[in-house]
Amino acid sequence: MPAPAEAGRAPGAPDGGWGWVVVFGAFVSIGFAYAFPKGLAIFFKEIQDFFGTSYSEIAWVSSIMLATTYGAALHLAAPRVAHRDLDGELEPLGVQLMANELVLEQVAAVANFKFQVGGPISSILVNRYGSRPVVMFGGLLCGVGMISAAFCTSILQLYICVGFITALRKRNGVCKLSTWTDASLDVLSSCFNTQPLLKSEAEAANFKANCKVTCTAHSTTSVVAEEDDVISCAGFGLALNLQPSVIIIGKYFLRRRPIANGLAMAGSPVMLCTLAPLNQFLFDNFGWRGSFLILGAILLNCCVAGALFRPIGAGTAQVKTQVTEEGKDALKGKITEDGLMENKTEEEGEKDCFEKVNQYLDFSLFKHRGFLIYLIGNVLMFLGFFAPIVFLAPYAKHTGIDEYSAAFLLSILAMVDMVARPTTGIIANSKWVRPRIQYFFSFAIAFNGACHLLCPLASSYSGLIVYSSFFGLAFGMVCAMLFETLMDLVGAARFTSAVGLVTIAECCTILLGPPIGGIIIDTFGDYKYMFIKCGAVMVLAGTFLFIMNYYNYRMLAKEEKERKAKEEDPKYVRTENEGKKTWNKDSTQDGPELEPLREKGEGLKKEMNGTNEV
Amino acid sequence: MIIVGVTGFVVFAVQDPAMTTQDSTQTQVNAVTKMQAGHDSSGPDAATQELKPASKQNTNVSEYEIVLPGVSEKNISLANPTKVELTCKLDENSNLKNPQVTWKKGSETISHTSKTQNSWTIELTISGSRELGSYTCILKAEKEVSATFHLHVPIIDGREKPIIAYEGDRAVMVCTTVYSPKAWTWYMTNGTELVPIDKMLPADKFHIKMPSISINRLEIVKLTREDCGVYWCEAAFELGPSKSRFELRVLSIAAPLKPFIAVVAEVTILLCTIVLYEVYSKRKAKGGEKQFDQIEKLSEDNVTGRSK
Repeated sequence: MPAPAEAGRAPGAPDGGWGWVVVFGAFVSIGFAYAFPKGLAIFFKEIQDFFGTSYSEIAWVSSIMLATTYGAALHLAAPRVAHRDLDGELEPLGVQLMANELVLEQVAAVANFKFQVGGPISSILVNRYGSRPVVMFGGLLCGVGMISAAFCTSILQLYICVGFITALRKRNGVCKLSTWTDASLDVLSSCFNTQPLLKSEAEAANFKANCKVTCTAHSTTSVVAEEDDVISCAGFGLALNLQPSVIIIGKYFLRRRPIANGLAMAGSPVMLCTLAPLNQFLFDNFGWRGSFLILGAILLNCCVAGALFRPIGAGTAQVKTQVTEEGKDALKGKITEDGLMENKTEEEGEKDCFEKVNQYLDFSLFKHRGFLIYLIGNVLMFLGFFAPIVFLAPYAKHTGIDEYSAAFLLSILAMVDMVARPTTGIIANSKWVRPRIQYFFSFAIAFNGACHLLCPLASSYSGLIVYSSFFGLAFGMVCAMLFETLMDLVGAARFTSAVGLVTIAECCTILLGPPIGGIIIDTFGDYKYMFIKCGAVMVLAGTFLFIMNYYNYRMLAKEEKERKAKEEDPKYVRTENEGKKTWNKDSTQDGPELEPLREKGEGLKKEMNGTNEV
Repeated sequence: MIIVGVTGFVVFAVQDPAMTTQDSTQTQVNAVTKMQAGHDSSGPDAATQELKPASKQNTNVSEYEIVLPGVSEKNISLANPTKVELTCKLDENSNLKNPQVTWKKGSETISHTSKTQNSWTIELTISGSRELGSYTCILKAEKEVSATFHLHVPIIDGREKPIIAYEGDRAVMVCTTVYSPKAWTWYMTNGTELVPIDKMLPADKFHIKMPSISINRLEIVKLTREDCGVYWCEAAFELGPSKSRFELRVLSIAAPLKPFIAVVAEVTILLCTIVLYEVYSKRKAKGGEKQFDQIEKLSEDNVTGRSK
């Protein structure tokens, strides 16, 4: 005999209550994952001075680092400097800063690459153990890593400890002017210094008619990382934090999921704004060792955040609650379906091998139309997503703005970002936008691209401030919806695997981005082409997503119609019910037949209720 | 990609060790500078902004210019003996007409070397530290305007904030400069006097390394509380020495431990609270469910009883 239905609640997705606590936990966890590595940048100089590392040491160590491609990035990052010899006068172009750019972008790229590697692993772990143990383990790993880093006595140890969590060092070196070529534009390789090329030229100071810059990559300890350089890198521990937090939000929320996502993702800028001054304070008072010790303890708070992620959906009391009688709401129906499938999957004792693999990482997603669209769009987008943030400060300095004002630009960006993310979540949750959320996402990406395309027009400081605010807005919009749209497309059940697969695919573009950027910069020799390239790529990605999602929505509507037509046929209903029962016994594999059920705000789920009562 | 990158790097890592020594013997700085009014330069920035490679025509002379009215001070860093031309230029739109111009260094007046419609130049040969200092051009007409060029040895980069190290650990101080000094010296403060570190003190406590001609590195190992204090790094240029200050603070290991333990305690407390709360709420739920099941069972029995 069925127990009375819970009013207005779909089992498996409370949409409130403890869910908000989970959102807070995800806020903290995601905040640490994204913001912590950036905050460590202020320590680099000191650490580099302390260990007196030479370039060759860094390169060697980084080449053997596990799960990173430091080596690739550093070797790839042969910074280029082009000198144009105009009538005998050396023009140290902004081209010199090209060198910085190329390396910075590659640094950012490699850093994100680490995220990508951690992604699928955490997906598999979450599929197997659930979110909570993974986050707690990740937090513990980070904390222990940082604490042990505080006691490191060599750069190698430091890489092993902290390398799991953070930190990418930029190459450094000193350029010596020895011979000079008379060519009009000669792309030469050189190390770079944070000061503009002038510094190294002056240093060499024996300028002759035919000079060529050679890179003396011998040991030099001049450090290159600056405080306001945003280096986004997360190691394994933090990657273990990010994915499960997003996954568990998908399990706890359905109707209010965009808001929950927006709020949780807002953790990143908030944490960045708190960590930056905190790190500076710790560094001034305790030096880098003491700071690492204390930061390790602070990272243990990720465990606390993870403890809040109570498991839900599988084998819990929710199983007993009755499916809603109303069932007219497609959302609820979908979650019912998912919840049941999950439950039955847990209850099943035996599965065959293929289903087992699929349970860990659902490769059948590659047949899923929406997933493929998302994947391609994202891959395109990431070609130009992170670069502008990395280059904003150097570009600002290049236009003559002093260091503090350039740092202030980034603060503005973070502030606007902080506000934009929850706001976007609220907007995305409104009844006008939610059914068409994919369009909103494509618009956000295209808006982002448009901002970058207009950036070169902003040459004054106030222009850059305007650019930063719009960029912050656009960046926040995209980030807030990054995971929400994926959840929307594949559903909460398969989201775990989907996000893992997406991160694997992204890592290829993330490594491709810098070399392409490098080629462009070498050809054109100006900062603004970097922005134009990023803008163009993102506008392209946004347009692609828009068109493809329009097609996807239409296909979904068509399939929904077909399905509705079929279920009118009474003979079909009974066989379908039996078929669905066998379905439920299978793994979480979702066939295309269930796609129409993913439609928001449409579709009837009467037959679902019928199935359950049977 | 990695392979390409590696080869690329290897190709470009051509080194010319002879260059290092060659640079230091370079005595000429070829520079042509055209300063706009808007750019005020001071400190190391002055060096970087001013020293641009020269055009081929002018050799061995550095030209510096201030446009009035506007920025009225300029810092110029000189490491080696050179010839310098200082120009005060009057903006066409300014109110001053046909001013009287005098160049002064301190109280001593210097005569013009050249003069055009609205710019006045002096040429100086800087061969030693005596010639360094502040040179002022004074334009007197309806009102008096002046501009000053500060010629000094290059400022070397140190650390303004104290360096924090721990007992038993080591401390590293790195001194860098853009130029190539002839020699480096490190000093320790003993009361009020500066004691050079070089040889007299135990060799295993202080390590001085020079990774390149423009970077110098002092490493103090086996730190103790007594090593706290102020250290000086001095670079000797042909035109004189230049110093930079470092402050070293040695902390005991206990210092960061207190906040560390505080945070760990906070984490533990929060974790326990969360676990206890969860256990408590589960018990409540179970108790409620038991009741619920009992009621169900009773009602079922009733129904089955009735149907029988």
